[in-house]
Amino acid sequence: MIKLVDLSKSYSSGKVAALKNINAHIKPGEFVSIVGQSGSGKTTLVRLIIAEEKPDSGQIIIGGWDITGIKDREIPTLRRQLGVIFQDFKLLPKKTVFENVAFAMETCGFSNKEIKKTVPQMISLVGLKGKEDRYSHQLSGGEKQRVAIARSLVHKPKLLIADEPTGNLDSINTREIIDLLKKINNLGTTVVLVTHNKDVVNSLRSRVITLDSGQIISDQEEGRYLL
Amino acid sequence: MISFFRIIKFALQGVFRNFWLSVVTITMMIMAVLSVTILVAMDYVKEATIASVKNKVDILVELRFNAGSDEVEGLVIELERLTEVKSVRVITPQENLEIFRQRNQDSQISRALDIYDEEENPFSYSLAIGAYDLSQYPQILEFLNQEKYSGLVQVSEFDSHEEFIERINSIAEFVNRYSLYLALIFIAISVIVIFNTIRISIYTRRDEIMIMKLVGAGNSFVRLPFVLESVFYALAAVLLVAAAVYPLVSLLQPVLNNYFQDYSAIDLRNYFIGNLLEIFFYQFIALALINTLSTSVAIRRYLRI
Ligand SMILES: Nc1ncnc2c1ncn2[C@@H]1O[C@H](COP(=O)(O)OP(=O)(O)O)[C@@H](O)[C@H]1O
Ligand SMILES: [Mg+2]
Repeated sequence: MIKLVDLSKSYSSGKVAALKNINAHIKPGEFVSIVGQSGSGKTTLVRLIIAEEKPDSGQIIIGGWDITGIKDREIPTLRRQLGVIFQDFKLLPKKTVFENVAFAMETCGFSNKEIKKTVPQMISLVGLKGKEDRYSHQLSGGEKQRVAIARSLVHKPKLLIADEPTGNLDSINTREIIDLLKKINNLGTTVVLVTHNKDVVNSLRSRVITLDSGQIISDQEEGRYLL
Repeated sequence: MISFFRIIKFALQGVFRNFWLSVVTITMMIMAVLSVTILVAMDYVKEATIASVKNKVDILVELRFNAGSDEVEGLVIELERLTEVKSVRVITPQENLEIFRQRNQDSQISRALDIYDEEENPFSYSLAIGAYDLSQYPQILEFLNQEKYSGLVQVSEFDSHEEFIERINSIAEFVNRYSLYLALIFIAISVIVIFNTIRISIYTRRDEIMIMKLVGAGNSFVRLPFVLESVFYALAAVLLVAAAVYPLVSLLQPVLNNYFQDYSAIDLRNYFIGNLLEIFFYQFIALALINTLSTSVAIRRYLRI
């Protein structure tokens, strides 16, 4: 699903080396946690995978598509094949739960019929049935993240990338969101979870890739939080 | 198709979300359209006036009373030889008398004739000279004012027309110059204002844009609403001016009629009604193009895709 070959990326024209010679292969259906301290390059890796940044050297292959030198006009095609969620949810405050999810489909040219069919499906998948008409200020942090997850799933992506999705949540909400991600993974979607929550990683009992100063220092099946 | 409607929806949202900014934007464009429209109108007034004057006016030369038909014919031949002269028409004393009678049928002035006998005619020969071009009248006058014709030519009338045309030209020139400056200034202001409006519109929607890109909206779907928004501003401005032009011109027409008196060939109202579509369609196209260009620059600068 994701193949990273000798990937390097630096910011400010070479002064800050964010990633150095990353090699990894994430297979379809996996649930992979990427851990590391703040500043270790986790978000940079996410930005490279969703083509928000271009690598300095190396190769990124997503679902068999080499996106290393992806053209601007091809980026939408890539983004429609993956879902992304973030720590800060990125919801539109003036839209309801339903509208937030529908907005993603509207801007991607789905028909009204498809929108009417898919949005409720996604909302009930993330467990927000009955809260379609709420605005984000009427939702808890966990519920907001569920809306973001519902939105990221409208393309029925094969790959879901979550960059510290529980960073703003208490432990109960964190648990629920992780359970939801596991459920989505069980439905067949590859999940890449970026986190530095030790309890989460240890309870997952799945593959853990640990980054330190832009390098992979460990990559273990059924790994534990090392740092 | 569905995307097309959504792009329109997004563009309209952009217009109404920053409502007062949109009002200012449209106002600036109205000023630009208005000044260009004044330019167009003034050009019409000028052309129409000069055309009507050209058709009507000859140099009217009143010959001396003692001028006989031979001398008159001699002068006609010499005049016709001039390259500037298009036509010379001889008006006999009899014709002049009739014209005078007709013109003053009902007024006291016709009484002036009462002091003459029936057979007596106080009028002399006169000549109506047409030139190819208005500007040639002075040369023809100069020719007539030569010493050798002083015994023949009494009065040559021309000044009033020359004055009139000069008046039209200077008014037209004055209005044209200032409305051209105004148009240029307002167009420049419009370009800056539209740029800024779109910049703010992009800023207002930055969260939406970020999400659109994140979920894979096409680049044109992200950009086009802004271009369309700027075209809407152009359309609104042109439509508003087009709607206001009839009442405005109706107000102006009596003033024109009053000012130009005999030259009622100037019918601004009809001109605008007849050319409404053309005048404003081209202005819309031009303004839409300008806005699109300005918006493209704003998009390139502020909308990172
Ligand atoms: N846009 C940027 N410009 C310059 N340096 C950056 C930028 N983004 C991140 N960095 C630097 O790159 C390194 C990795 O950052 P990041 O990938 O955000 O780490 P993490 O997500 O693991 O906290 C850090 O040293 C950070 O300061
Ligand atoms: Mg980060």
